[in-house]
Amino acid sequence: MAKKNFKVVNQPVKKLDALPLALGKPLFVADFKPADALYAKLLWSPHAHAIIKSIDISAAEKMPGVHCVLYHGNVPRIAHTTAGQGFPEPSPYDTFMFDRKVRYVGDRVAAVAAETPEIAEAAVKAIKVEYERLEPVLSIEAALKEGSPVIHDEPEARAVIPVPYEPKKNIAARVGMDVGNVEQAMAGAPYKLDNSYYIHMAQHCPIEPHVTMAHVNAEGRLVIRTSTQVPFHARRIAAQTMDIPVQQVRVIKPRIGGGFGAKQEVLLEDVVGMLAWRSRRPVLLMYTREEEFVSSRTRHPERIRVRLAADPEGTLTAVGLDCISNTGAYGAHALTVVCNSGSKVLPLYRAPNVHFTGTAVYTNLPVGGAYRGYGATQAAFAVESAVDELAEQIGVDPLVLRSNHHIRSGETSPVFAALGEGKAGVEQAIGSCGLDKCIRLGAKAIGWKKRGDWRKKKGRYRRGIGMCCLMQGSSIPEIDMGAASLKMNEDGSFNLLMGATDLGTGSDTVLAQIAAEAIGTTSDKILVYSSDTDMTPFDVGAYASSTTYLTGNAVLDAGLKIKKQILGVAAEMMEKKPADLEIRDAQVFARDGSGSVTFQDVALHSLYAANQFQIAAISSHISHKSPPPFAAHFAEVEVDTETGLIRVVKYVAATDCGTAIHPKLAEGQVEGAVMNGICYALTEQYLFNSAGRMLNDSFLHYKIYSMRDKPEMVTILVPTYEKTGPFGAKSVSEIGINGPCPAIANAIYNAVGVRLREAPFTPEKIWRGLQQHNA
Amino acid sequence: MKITDFKIPTRLDEALAALRDLGPAALPVAGATSLVFIPEDQPMTAVDLNRLGLDGIRRDGDAFRIGAATRVAALQKRHEPGWVLDRVALTLSSQQIRNESTLGGNICRVFPWSDFPAALLALGAGLVIRGAQEKEMTADEFFSSQPARLFRGGDLLTHIRVPAVGAGAGFGYKKVRQTATGFSLATAAACLQLDGGGIRSARAALSAAVPFPARCAAVEAALAGKKASEGLLREAALNGLSGLKFKEAEGMSAEYIGRLAAVTLGDALVEAWAQAKEQAS
Repeated sequence: MAKKNFKVVNQPVKKLDALPLALGKPLFVADFKPADALYAKLLWSPHAHAIIKSIDISAAEKMPGVHCVLYHGNVPRIAHTTAGQGFPEPSPYDTFMFDRKVRYVGDRVAAVAAETPEIAEAAVKAIKVEYERLEPVLSIEAALKEGSPVIHDEPEARAVIPVPYEPKKNIAARVGMDVGNVEQAMAGAPYKLDNSYYIHMAQHCPIEPHVTMAHVNAEGRLVIRTSTQVPFHARRIAAQTMDIPVQQVRVIKPRIGGGFGAKQEVLLEDVVGMLAWRSRRPVLLMYTREEEFVSSRTRHPERIRVRLAADPEGTLTAVGLDCISNTGAYGAHALTVVCNSGSKVLPLYRAPNVHFTGTAVYTNLPVGGAYRGYGATQAAFAVESAVDELAEQIGVDPLVLRSNHHIRSGETSPVFAALGEGKAGVEQAIGSCGLDKCIRLGAKAIGWKKRGDWRKKKGRYRRGIGMCCLMQGSSIPEIDMGAASLKMNEDGSFNLLMGATDLGTGSDTVLAQIAAEAIGTTSDKILVYSSDTDMTPFDVGAYASSTTYLTGNAVLDAGLKIKKQILGVAAEMMEKKPADLEIRDAQVFARDGSGSVTFQDVALHSLYAANQFQIAAISSHISHKSPPPFAAHFAEVEVDTETGLIRVVKYVAATDCGTAIHPKLAEGQVEGAVMNGICYALTEQYLFNSAGRMLNDSFLHYKIYSMRDKPEMVTILVPTYEKTGPFGAKSVSEIGINGPCPAIANAIYNAVGVRLREAPFTPEKIWRGLQQHNA
Repeated sequence: MKITDFKIPTRLDEALAALRDLGPAALPVAGATSLVFIPEDQPMTAVDLNRLGLDGIRRDGDAFRIGAATRVAALQKRHEPGWVLDRVALTLSSQQIRNESTLGGNICRVFPWSDFPAALLALGAGLVIRGAQEKEMTADEFFSSQPARLFRGGDLLTHIRVPAVGAGAGFGYKKVRQTATGFSLATAAACLQLDGGGIRSARAALSAAVPFPARCAAVEAALAGKKASEGLLREAALNGLSGLKFKEAEGMSAEYIGRLAAVTLGDALVEAWAQAKEQAS
């Protein structure tokens, strides 16, 4: 396969859904609401930790217009996980549709379906609940304290794969690995550090909050239209939780208004499905923004200990990482997020001694989940801050320290084999790696050479530059599977059916490009239909930076099979051998110039003329590697030394994602992730009162950036060719969010000498750091 | 806010009658951008104030007379000697909000983050209220507590009189926020009247960082009659706020917000001084 002679791939073709989205056409779940749909509302727990002593739904049930009220007393009690992961899931089964106990403010207590939202709201208020309040556990430290209240004391709570799970100690997951001996290496090292970092909770803030609609169709099957990243997992988990056969459920994913991991959770499908099943009416449930903040999912906060050691030459000899994550009230993604804190960060730098532990603890706070970056964001902040601190100790440029130690093409890391997702990992050698070039081009774009020592800076407003290096993965090797089906239509167009889930990323377009390139046509001839469990082949869904790499390979393979069939039909038509033919621009040419047929001619022939058959193919792909994309990020900040107010002046993100199938969309992924990461670093935070209630559950008080806040941003794509990826592609969607926290922390230090090891970097923290200097 | 009825008067007396008749069930609206902040409890009747001729800005001697229903965008787009509210307007939320939001709406119900109260206190604005008769009160009276108290009987704010910032005078306005359209953490406004190199009078006001917009009397006292210098202005701001109570915000402590307010007021005073020097001749 030629590497560079792409016609469709690596081109900024028109995004397939651009026009209907721009025109505001009905595309999203709530747009399909039938006139007779009921509205669902949920009753939320006002307490962080309590037993439901009694619940009286009679008044609500009797209200005119109320069709169904659900609570723990009238639904199946089936332990499951909401984490939309491969089966059997690595997340513990610790969740019920409704439980007798509530474990955070915003936990589900009951649900109502009624004729109008107002009636549903009134009915929710009419449900009388008597709670016995228990002591809430509101921090990692409190959860781990001897004698702390047990959050999951129900007998059904269990892990369904052989991994450590100790709910009696509030421990939702444990993982670890050791190579060599970090303690020993630390003991004799001339340069070393042992620091603790904390990185905070945040919300994904998709434009479209969680929304699900369900109805029972004429055949008595449950049809769920839902804003999900994981239609097939949603089908499986909804059926499991409702205790009905999977074949009774069809899940359809329309356009999605963003997910960022929040919609890798099966949050609403079970309860909306049950309301529709019981009421036999279509039911729509739309989260409000407040519900999205409190009762969906968050980024797991982590307390992280980093140990680094270097020998007298400044060569890294040991990296130790101990991460304790706060999974909140339920263990969704608890094991895998904290595991990724090690597996997606530790392989980046070569060191003979490596240590890692990951522990996830339960607390009575909103639930952690999958969030873009998935544990790597948390650990990258700690490790990349520590690398800068070690560089200063050694007296070496932190850029040079990174350049001297980062993993390169052909190299491997023991971490790959040691840490998998719920089982041992998969050994892999790095294929493509453009990190060197990312560092070089990024440094030039930010002006790294002009970076001076903070001790020499003067004046009220001081600028500083910081950097970090990053890696992520592309799919979960030997676990995740994607499939695609292609068939040819009589005008030479193709239907591409996939379970892959475009949640706003543009993956429908990217996968159409891959199909078009493989077949030899243009992307506008590919009619994409994605994510319908009745119609499309299986796909694990959109997570783990997998769609382009994983499903892309399935699409590529199906495309090549189609191409072979087209050549076969054309050969018959032209009375040639397939080997004497070639495809260009949706036409088949004889290499000897003796003639050509169009794709339409081929299709008509195959469907109507002779030896008729449907030109079609289906392919599956499972990856054996998870090739990391790499990136070097650089931030320039300006700090007001009088107030600690900080402004990001310029941000440079240089990314190696292999071949960018759609360069504009790839840049968009990087820029979106970086903006997301900058406000995570600076302004986003969950504020709780002492009873565990979130105080800032709206965009008025939870501060995310808009385009008005965008600093000067330089996005550099460094092309490499990943041999195992479709047309050389790797992932790009997650890696970008990992950079701003460490790059900005390092830039703040370079500006004013304040080292912040607790995110977010509020003006007050910077100001207090400056006060300590002055004292 | 639950709006169950909507009245659209076209004359001021009609509007005043509607407000009087409805009493506490009346909700006067013009830009209506703050409805989102008002809790949904009892049903209200919205009374539209957009067709009463209460919008527009005109010069009236040494002052500007601004209709209460004038859009913030109109304040932002006006540029002429003596006019300074464009600087305040520009920092209010986003352009979309400024196109709808009105000056009257911004000050009749003061939210902790409201922008204009501090500016009007520093400028010594007058507020014209129509009930049975027309009366004018000072910004100090108007903002002595929640202005909504003044309108319970069906009265209406019709105009705001803002002195032009003339020869030897300067206005400074600073607002600190974490995101471009975010609420203010600290808003400071200052007016200085110079007399040669000396400060004849100073007015300074804060909002957002404090529970309610307020003049900073100790700062003003520390400046009046002194020879102006950047050091003096900053020192007055840093030392003159110790009597004020600050509130925590966005996860930051009251102590820090107090510090932020003092520095921000210093910045506003320095900006006012720069303009006053420029307008000295």
